Formats: sequence, structure tokens, C-alpha cells
Amino acid sequence: MPSFDITFVAKYWQTLLMGLGLTLEFTAICIISGTLLGLVLALMSRSQHLAVRTVVRLYVELIRGVPVLILLFWIFFCLPVVTGLEIGNFLSAAIALTLFMGAATCESFRASLKSIPIEQYDACTALGLTNRSRTLDVVVPLMVMRAIPNLLSNTVALFKESSLASAVGTVELMYIGQNIANSTARPIEVLTVVGILYFIVGFILTRLVSIAESRVLSRLAN
Amino acid sequence: MQDLDFYFAFASGHQLLDGLKVTLYLTFWSNVIGLTCGFLLAMVGVSPIRPLRWLYTCYIEIFRCTPILLQIVWFFFCVPILFNVYWSGEFLGLLILGLNLTAFNAEAYRASIQAIPPAHHDAAIALGLGSRVTALHVIMPQAALNAMPVLVTNAIGAFQQSALVALVGVADLMYQGKLLSTQTYRPIEAYTSVAIIYLVISVVFGQIAGFFERRNELYR
Repeated sequence: MPSFDITFVAKYWQTLLMGLGLTLEFTAICIISGTLLGLVLALMSRSQHLAVRTVVRLYVELIRGVPVLILLFWIFFCLPVVTGLEIGNFLSAAIALTLFMGAATCESFRASLKSIPIEQYDACTALGLTNRSRTLDVVVPLMVMRAIPNLLSNTVALFKESSLASAVGTVELMYIGQNIANSTARPIEVLTVVGILYFIVGFILTRLVSIAESRVLSRLAN
Repeated sequence: MQDLDFYFAFASGHQLLDGLKVTLYLTFWSNVIGLTCGFLLAMVGVSPIRPLRWLYTCYIEIFRCTPILLQIVWFFFCVPILFNVYWSGEFLGLLILGLNLTAFNAEAYRASIQAIPPAHHDAAIALGLGSRVTALHVIMPQAALNAMPVLVTNAIGAFQQSALVALVGVADLMYQGKLLSTQTYRPIEAYTSVAIIYLVISVVFGQIAGFFERRNELYR
């Protein structure tokens, strides 16, 4: 076994931290856009029109039925050909992960929508709330609160999936780590450090999920 | 936009079929590893010895808190150096996918074991059953039934995640699709065909799993 020297990675700490920053930034963008997409899709899945519901159903099945990697490659290689637009690697990775996150959050929101007791709707009718007010002031807040633990675990999943963006050349932690590993020919040390960086963030996020879970559960119990 | 020609995808069907075989091979063996080692690991996780439980938590957290792509790349680059072994890409691939699945399946087994009401333990004691009989005939059958849906979801997940090994050069379905697209300059047909194959297999397995799950619900 060749000499193992983890200290040499210290030379690259700034670059690696920058990579982590880019990963977090990229994750944050996709979380926001993906959650909004999921929210709209979940509300659409309650539509009275069968066609709208079917479209949402098909979308979710399609996105969840194919690996994220093929989704990403399809958008990166095929979407420019289909649309004639020049889509960079950052944008195509962002689109792919937004679509992925949209399908996942749609399912979370749908599950929490189902768990809202029917009495809440009756109460809205009894109070004479309009449709708009019922959706925006009653259903959406209730739904979001119930969905928080699930949304956070989707966030963890997305944070991990964001490493796939390196496959189309988006500069983030995984990409930078692989580049340093290749150019220094010291994969063990570099990739281990990259793993530790991912682990720290991932670990904090999963702890947040458990805290949120117990809080929401205790609030629902009251 | 150029004309679409899906005929060519059929013409190169054997290439995609070769890739699909590798993908299914990886999925099958990683599930064999994941189901058996996951179960053994869950036993470690529910053991009364505290250091063993720490070991369990470490294993789970390492695999849960890092991206699987990183795990795969780390494994492919570092295991041959660290242990001075030269295994084929397929073997390395099924090992790391199996180790990853082990962590997730162990959690599923552990959760389903702990979900069994304590009253069942009490009843087993009241009936004078030994700990071995209690484990084998009271706890395990129920736990297995409870864990089933998650195990199937994880299995389909492993099938989809196996596509990632294409990035480290294992000639699976994803890799063959990529190759086909660069060889023929027809990315749309190549990637769409590959996506359809993944989609059909995932959906079919998902439906089968859903059918059994509903039947189990009735059975209860």
C-alpha cells in the first residue's frame, strides 16, 4: 500500500470548501424550485378534471420510474436537440433535479393532504369561506406543516443526488473532488475528505429531520 | 431538428440487451447481499450490547449521509489500492451497491422488529416460549411481513441506482445507452429507449409489489 497522507489534502481546503458551497447553493436552488413545483402538482392532483389528475399521476410515475442519471442525461443531451435551445450543464442539472424534487415533494404533499381530517373542510363550509380562502388559509398551511418531516428528508435526498450534477460537468463538490483526486493521483485521501464533507452536512440534515419529525408529531398529537 | 428514427434502437437492441443483462445481474446480486447482510446487520442493531449498536449506527450513518455516487467512486478508486486486489468492475459494482442496500434494508428490518408491540413479547413469555422460539416463530414472521414494502421499494431503488456504475465504466444499460448515443449521434433515440426500459421494469415491479402488499393487507 502506498503511503497514506491525509494532511496533503489541507492544501486544497479552500477549493474543497468552495465546492461544498457550490453544492449547497445548487441544492438550495433545486429545493426551492422543486418544492414549488411539488406544491402546484399536489394541488393539481386534487383537481376536478380527470385529465389534470392523470397528467400529474403520469408525471410522478415517469420521474420516479427512471433513474435520476438518465433524466439528467436526457435533459443534457436531448433537450437542446429537441428545443433548439442551448442549455448549459448547470441549467440542465438544475432542471433534472427540480423535476426529481417536484415528483418527490408532490408525493409528500399529497400524503399530507390526505391526512387532513374532513372536519376541517366542513368547518370551512360552515364558516362560509370562499374556495380561494379555504385553499390558501386553511388547506395549504395544514398541509405544509404535516409535510415538513417528509420535505426535509426529500431535502437530504436531494443534497445527495446533487452529486450527480458532476456527471455532466457541473462544478460542485463531487466534481472538484474527482478532479483533485485525478490530478494528484491520490484518490484515497481526497475522496475520503470529500466523503467527510458530505457526511457532515448530511448528518446535520438527518438530525434536523428527526427533530422536525418529533416536533410535528407532538403538535399533531395535541 | 433531425428526424427521429427509433428503428435504429431496435437494430442495436442486442447492445442494449447486453447492458440490461449487466444491470439485472447487478440488481440481483446487490439485493441478495442487501437482504441477507441487511438482516444480519439489523440483528446487530437490536442487540443488547451497546458497542455493537454503535457499530451498527456508524455503518448506517456513513451510508445514509453520503451520496451513493461518492460511495461508488470511492469504492472503485480506493478498494483496489487499499487491498491490492484487481476485481472486475461488475464485481466491485455489485459489492458497493450491495453494501449500500445493506444499510437501508437493515434500517427497514430494525424498524419493523421494533414496531412489533411489546405485548407479543409478554405473551411469548407467558406461554413459556424460549427466546429462540420467540424470535423465530413470533417476532420474525411478523417483522418480515412488515418490512416487505420497504424492502421492495429499496430493491427498485437499487435497480435504478445501479445506473450510476456506468459513470465508473461498468458496461450496464446506462453505459450502453451512452455508447450508442455517441456511436450513432442519435442521443434522443438512445436515451429515450434506455429510459423506457428502466421505466417499464420499475413500474412493472412496483405494480407487482403493490399487488402483494394489498393482498397482505387483506390477509391481516
